[in-house]
Amino acid sequence: MQYKIDTRPLPIVILARWWRFPVFVLLGYTLYFCFGQQPPEGLSLEGYRALIVFLTCLVLWVTHLLPLPVTGLFALVAPPLLGVMKAREAFSFFGSEPVFFIMGVFILATALLKSGLSTRMALHLLKSGSKSPKRLILQVMLTAALLSFVMSEHAVAAMMFPLIVIITKKLRLSPQQSSYGRTLFVAMAWGCVIGGIATMLGGARVPLAVGLLQEAGNGTIAFSEWTLSMMPAVIVLFGFCYFLLTRFYPIDVDTVSEADAAIDEQIRDCGRLLMEEKFLALLIVAAIACWIFLGAQLGMATIAILAVVLLFMFRVVEWKALQELMEWGVILMYGGAIAISSILNSTGAGLWVTQKYIIPHLSSPWMVIIVLSLLTILLTEAMSNSAVVAIFVPIGMSIAKQFGMDPRVVVFAVASASGLAYALPMSTPSVAIAYSSGYLKLKEVVVPAAIMAAVSWLALMLSARFWWPLLGIHVGG
Amino acid sequence: MNIALLKLQLLYSGIRAGQNLPNPLTNPFGLVHLVLPEGVTVSVHRNENGTDSPFTLRKDGAQFFLDIAGSESVPVQWTPPLHSYQQKTSSGVLVSDILTVHGDFIAVHPTHACRFGQSGLSCRYCGSSRDVSQHPPFTPRDLVEAIQIVEQEKRCDLVSLSSGRVDTPDGGVERLEKWVTEIRKHLNVLIALDLVPPETNDWIDKTYAMGVDALYYDSDFFNPNDEPRKDFEKHKVRQLEALAYARRIFPTGAVLSHLVIGLEPLEETRASIDLLIDRGVVPVLAYFPPYDGSNLRSRWTATPEQAREIYAHLYERLVRTRINPHWVQQYDVVLTALEGRFFSNESPRYHLKLKNFYETSYGRAVRFSLARLRRHLRVVPA
Repeated sequence: MQYKIDTRPLPIVILARWWRFPVFVLLGYTLYFCFGQQPPEGLSLEGYRALIVFLTCLVLWVTHLLPLPVTGLFALVAPPLLGVMKAREAFSFFGSEPVFFIMGVFILATALLKSGLSTRMALHLLKSGSKSPKRLILQVMLTAALLSFVMSEHAVAAMMFPLIVIITKKLRLSPQQSSYGRTLFVAMAWGCVIGGIATMLGGARVPLAVGLLQEAGNGTIAFSEWTLSMMPAVIVLFGFCYFLLTRFYPIDVDTVSEADAAIDEQIRDCGRLLMEEKFLALLIVAAIACWIFLGAQLGMATIAILAVVLLFMFRVVEWKALQELMEWGVILMYGGAIAISSILNSTGAGLWVTQKYIIPHLSSPWMVIIVLSLLTILLTEAMSNSAVVAIFVPIGMSIAKQFGMDPRVVVFAVASASGLAYALPMSTPSVAIAYSSGYLKLKEVVVPAAIMAAVSWLALMLSARFWWPLLGIHVGG
Repeated sequence: MNIALLKLQLLYSGIRAGQNLPNPLTNPFGLVHLVLPEGVTVSVHRNENGTDSPFTLRKDGAQFFLDIAGSESVPVQWTPPLHSYQQKTSSGVLVSDILTVHGDFIAVHPTHACRFGQSGLSCRYCGSSRDVSQHPPFTPRDLVEAIQIVEQEKRCDLVSLSSGRVDTPDGGVERLEKWVTEIRKHLNVLIALDLVPPETNDWIDKTYAMGVDALYYDSDFFNPNDEPRKDFEKHKVRQLEALAYARRIFPTGAVLSHLVIGLEPLEETRASIDLLIDRGVVPVLAYFPPYDGSNLRSRWTATPEQAREIYAHLYERLVRTRINPHWVQQYDVVLTALEGRFFSNESPRYHLKLKNFYETSYGRAVRFSLARLRRHLRVVPA
């Protein structure tokens, strides 16, 4: 194990390491104080306590005082503790369909990663990019985006990162100095971000939002419906991103032909396509087809779990190898988020908050979508995108009810906007991975990232105005 | 009677055995444990020649006295040798073959020749005075058992291990790691290591992170058989660098360096004290006069009267700084920095009260807890 000795003055070390404890005490006291108060007018006692739990989770999610999955668990145990509902009911939310859909999708993505199939796909997609520097940027973006259609964007970034490092080394691009090196890593991260909103597989935030929608009894969103609704925005953003990257960052290399040799070498190292990889590829394609055509009848989670069962039936991967790579914590976080959202809905707390504090400031359904998506895009830069979804979707659905809107519109607006974080390392893992390369400095990324965020929001609003109605999704209700 | 001077004189001359003394009088290493007035402890060798020492220990009724030739008698306490020394670990190794107890700390016998021992002389510190190859081998498990046996009889705060002479880049850290790990796993004690300065500072980080509380990089590598070292200057520069870096990593006062008095001009020792204290390092002045009859005795230049100036200087420098001198508390084979107060008019300020507090069970708990807490805060997995 490697160690680092923190040699800062001890009071500073204590503050840095233990600041959480006084905050926890303060939070605990606030919780206790609020618990002893009478509920405000118009809000039931259960609703009031549910709101306390929600606000506590909100603080924990925003501040990261606890790891996100642990806050998710807290959201499960707090309602029974505060007498909002029985423990059996609270824990039953964990067994909801979206949680199992997320689990299935994660297992499939992990299998892709573990088998090396995703790396092979990435290498073949990158292979034709070495004709010119601009072409390589395009290929990196395209590879990242296309792979993020079928697996979690952060898994794609983690898988592509070493490949981009190899390319930058072959091209002798210096960290912190090479503009082209920086462009390649940004292209990888933003390719993942843009591709990640295209389908429900690009991250767990869309399934989470859909799960919240289902648990609130507001219907559902089909796989194909989501993909179709997002595709124009994804294409526009992809094109604009390429334009921005190639204009904003000077290309300081003449040729990238050496990258070709590096990619070829990596492809050779992959060896021939194994039977397991072929089967896995077939299985993923079949699962996607089923989600598109049979998702409504069979249920998204059923298809995902069935694919997982087949995965192990044919021994494509070993459970032991897979469980080491799986991000089980995300599933815990989502179980908790779905529980708290459902409790807000069932106790009427969400409705009360929106009626009292939000509705008076909003004048129309369009205003609702504009404000929610804008807030989401801004907050997702500083917060986990799943946390943003967990906060805004329940509130948004309550607002939508007040305006007689289709609650699914809120899910489209919030879930897509929550994935569009470009600037800060804490916003999304793919951006954080790009920063870890050492090629990026925040001041060099922040301006194009702000432009991308603005254009992304505009693209979503234009989609909502002109494209979604063609699919039967109307903002106006 | 100046108690500190008496201690130095005892270390220099040893004692003669008088009347009515119990048997055995000495510990297995030939040392008699005495507590002088003011609670000053000393382990003094029995002068076998019986002629040069002006001190005679005798017993009158229940009281022990130290008769000083041409002067008055001083009442002292005699501490019987630990029974623990005669006990064995579960693998059959005698405790006295594993460690020596000096006041409130334990010096573990190196499984390899210590630097002083290499000269062929007795090492009063680590107990490996005889031929090291004759020492039975023992394991970290034996060491832990031996410490546990001693702790049942006597309180011990600090366990000190020495790397011996090594030429590896780590300065002996890796050699001692398994010992430190085993002690940390089973015992609640402070650990000090006596090492050679490593080539790079990351070894110093590792030393602290693996559970070491105090560190010695000795400034005097005395070996009368050595040719003058070719790379002495380079070595000295690196040693000062390592000490300065260790001072940033370890608690204040926990970076120490032995200086042997008497084998170099006293002015040089004085200059070395200043050099070390200026870098936040606590010099531990080892007053180990060669025994009568050894060929080094004639080269020895520091009589107790001469050495007192140096001890006074060390004490005064330390109390004027914020360096904590308490890592060497009850050290009975050297005169501690705080015992230098008997040679000076300068007040020990809060240091004496703190020393007395650390000797209580609460003080011990506080000291240990603070050391653990500091490590918990400072060591961060990279």
